[in-house]
Amino acid sequence: MRGQAFYKALLHCYPAAFRDEYGNQMFLMFAEQLGEARRTGRPIDRAALWGRAAWDVLAIAPREHCHVILQDIRFTLRSLAARPGFAAVAILSLTLGIGANIAIFSLWNGLLHASLPLVTHPEQLAMLSDPASSGVWHGDESGDRDMLTWDEFEQLRDRATSFSALMASESSLDSWQLRFQGSDWEEAHGRMVSGGYFPLLGIAPAMGRLFTEADDRQDSPYAVISYDYWQRRFAGSPAVLGRSFTLRQAVLTIIGVAPRGFIGETFGQDPDLWISMRMEPQVVPGDDRLHDVPPEKAMWLHVFGRLKPGVKLARAEAESNAIFKAGLEQFYGGVASPERRKELLDQKLKARPAAGGASSARGDFSTSLSALMAAVGVLLLIACANLANLLLARGAVRRPEMALRLSLGASRGRLIRQLVTESLVLAAMGALCGLAAARLIFAVLAGMIAQGDQGFAMNFALDPLAIAFTLAVTVSSALLFGLLPAWQATRTDASAALKEQGRAGASLGRMRLGRSLVSLQLALSLPLLACAGLLARTVYNLQHVDLGYPRQRLVMTAIDSRTAGYNSERSAVLFRDLLERIKSIPGVAAVTYSHNGLFTGSNSSDLMLAEGYTPKGQDDTGSAWDFVAPNYFSTLHIPLLVGREILQSDDAAAPKVCVVNEAFARKFFGGRNPLGLHVTMIDESVAGRKGTAYQVVGVARNFRTNSLRDKANPRVSLPFSQPHADSVKRANYLIRTTSDSAAVLPAVRQAIQRMDASLPILYAQTLEERMAPWTAQDRITAQVAVVFGISALVLAAIGLYGVLSYNVARRRSEIAIRIALGAQPGGIIRMVLRDTSVLVLAGILVGGGLTYAASRWIASQLFDVAPQDPLVLTAAATVLVAVALGAVYLPAWRASRVAPMEALRQE
Amino acid sequence: MREPKPESLLPLPAAVFHILIALAESDRHGYSIMRDVSARTGGKIRLSAGTLYSSIRRMLEQGLIEELADSPDPSSTDERRRYYRLTRFGRRAAAAEVDRLNGLVRQAHASGLVPGA
Repeated sequence: MRGQAFYKALLHCYPAAFRDEYGNQMFLMFAEQLGEARRTGRPIDRAALWGRAAWDVLAIAPREHCHVILQDIRFTLRSLAARPGFAAVAILSLTLGIGANIAIFSLWNGLLHASLPLVTHPEQLAMLSDPASSGVWHGDESGDRDMLTWDEFEQLRDRATSFSALMASESSLDSWQLRFQGSDWEEAHGRMVSGGYFPLLGIAPAMGRLFTEADDRQDSPYAVISYDYWQRRFAGSPAVLGRSFTLRQAVLTIIGVAPRGFIGETFGQDPDLWISMRMEPQVVPGDDRLHDVPPEKAMWLHVFGRLKPGVKLARAEAESNAIFKAGLEQFYGGVASPERRKELLDQKLKARPAAGGASSARGDFSTSLSALMAAVGVLLLIACANLANLLLARGAVRRPEMALRLSLGASRGRLIRQLVTESLVLAAMGALCGLAAARLIFAVLAGMIAQGDQGFAMNFALDPLAIAFTLAVTVSSALLFGLLPAWQATRTDASAALKEQGRAGASLGRMRLGRSLVSLQLALSLPLLACAGLLARTVYNLQHVDLGYPRQRLVMTAIDSRTAGYNSERSAVLFRDLLERIKSIPGVAAVTYSHNGLFTGSNSSDLMLAEGYTPKGQDDTGSAWDFVAPNYFSTLHIPLLVGREILQSDDAAAPKVCVVNEAFARKFFGGRNPLGLHVTMIDESVAGRKGTAYQVVGVARNFRTNSLRDKANPRVSLPFSQPHADSVKRANYLIRTTSDSAAVLPAVRQAIQRMDASLPILYAQTLEERMAPWTAQDRITAQVAVVFGISALVLAAIGLYGVLSYNVARRRSEIAIRIALGAQPGGIIRMVLRDTSVLVLAGILVGGGLTYAASRWIASQLFDVAPQDPLVLTAAATVLVAVALGAVYLPAWRASRVAPMEALRQE
Repeated sequence: MREPKPESLLPLPAAVFHILIALAESDRHGYSIMRDVSARTGGKIRLSAGTLYSSIRRMLEQGLIEELADSPDPSSTDERRRYYRLTRFGRRAAAAEVDRLNGLVRQAHASGLVPGA
């Protein structure tokens, strides 16, 4: 008997429907076989019988489950096809919700968490430079070192024992003009790397060979190209190996192709080619970055190491620092002043895990992306609430059907399974469409990031984590919106429901659930709307922040005279001559130039002494400065509060003068008249400090040069021809135009070309174009937030409309009686609206709380607008109420038009 | 009800074909089908309950067999047993399967894979 009971238990492995239908038969058959086997008395027969039963459970039962699921899916598809409107709305809102989630997740995951593609054991990689830094920094540093010099790298490479290998790469991606034999000049993006670059990353070539350590020790006029570039530029021809091209003063030969998908060591960049670091003197003529010559170091490299097995990051850091410090002591050994030497030696390296490689976009976007992740999560919640509501309403309509099936013996679990299958099928369709939508959204987002971070390139990739996320989102949303309505729809007393048939009846409980879902949707929409509003205000404020000078009709350009072989003296002449040429271009009202320009990313600051000011500590004597050409202030239209601006007459022979800004005057001169006082600029070279005094001849209004968010800092403008530090190396031209600025640009380019065709033009843009990257990240975040806010609003409106329409339909007879008894249409509308106002009010109250939390969370992203800005919050709430009222007005109006006799006759 | 072509079901799974053969002579219940198959194959094939009823479920859906409303055997005391009967469509499907197998056997002989009969 125990055997039979056990077999009965085994039957539970089959789907309920199958068990209900055949369980008894199977049991009978098994009992008879068991009896037979007992009668033979051979244990082997019984064992064979149990073996077959076990086989059934393992092989047949799962097949039967699949069969039931397929049946449910077929049933679902048929029932969805019968209600295309419902299916379309459901799939569309899920597409939006799931698609946005996948896109933002992929970006978030890719940007912040993904490892470098194709690199072997990325978890063993460590970086000794700051992943977010890029560029070239000539001079000295203190504190944590951002980038390294070639000499420093070589010392580390040759002495460090914590790493199995080390390599260096140029921190910024260069934009180069190349010329292949028989072709015109063309642009390509590339970077210089040390010989150990490819071996350290564990990369094998797709074709040809890659660099090796040996390429660091001899001249190596070679290039390795990327797979994409090979396909794009050379149509994948094997003949590419051995082809040569000219790059500035170098002639380089292609020796290999990197494997497909390899992007190198910097995330978000997609170089076309890599060239050997040894070629730097020919590639960047006039700027030797391979040798540190006292007093200057050229810091421009990222350094990566592969940790030996078992070596901890901290140990590697300590060892690297010991080597680094020894190098510094040797380099700065000749510095006379012990105080200065101590300052110069106060530098250290920081070792960080580098599986994700370097990336500047990562730091910029991490906060925004986390906020957007939360926003898309909320959006999906709203979409799910909406679907739950639609399904609840459908559940009410299908109640008689459910009751009938229950009374015919279907188990409740079976019905719930059917309904949940419906939700899963919907969610799966939403996820499939969502994946397509995600690709689109992702491409748009990546494009937007590229606006702010030139050279940014990232492809949509479904890595295992993203796939897991997609599945999790799909299943959890299906359960979120499907389970509750399924529970409600089947929680029904069969006879009562059957009696109700024909009337659109629903229990109070179900109504309450639907209504609270709508309130929840409204509550969730409010923070999205409010944050979108706050971010939009931030962008507006940033785009309209007072620069201190008009931003219209200003064109800027810069030339790289050093690369073209100019020394300091010739450069100075070139700058002046070019100024005259540009001035004569029609449409140019005025022109000037400065060392750092505007919004170029270059900034200078030094220690200085202000006459009569006692510093309140060591860091209290700094000021930003720039060398400016004559008429700088009048060209830019920066008003002078007192005194005069820097003029043509302030040349090298004239007394040294300067113009300070308001912030400078207020901080260092207090209430005193600044005119005639002196500012002594301190130049800190290895040899020691050297002071140069400048007399203040004017005070200018505060103006912005590189930042939109920071408050104005002290700034001093020095004449271009009276430098206090090493000679001026570059000039950024600032050109005021009389009308359309963009129209002048071609003429400006022409003027430069005519001056010297070999002069590389670093950029030629209007100020507004130049500033676009400065607001790009805020703009992207705000645009995405606004789109999400509007989507949330639309979804919430659909939900509200659906529930109200249903509510009105349910109360048709009641309303009909009221109208028959003399109620006016206006009264009916008011009644319905009153009913709704509770929902909206509850939604706004809860939403207010959520908004408070959310806006504080994004406070650091905001500019010139308080997280609780009453205007934005009121506007968000008003929009929400207006849309809510719009969504309920139609059903209310319809209710007021109920024809009493017709409605009552239907009862 | 739509009736698919019998050929669309070919090749028939072995268990299905055995059940069709068992039902060819008379209507039977599950246990009886199992015993008939076992007897005809000299005990080599013993259908398990799961295989049998899973096949029956599918054959009912495909219209190869039908379930009888009453027990065909008035003397039977056990009313719990359910009886199955071969349909015309089931017969056609079995014939089609036999054709298919015959064809295969002919090919095997013709190609010399197996010495001809």
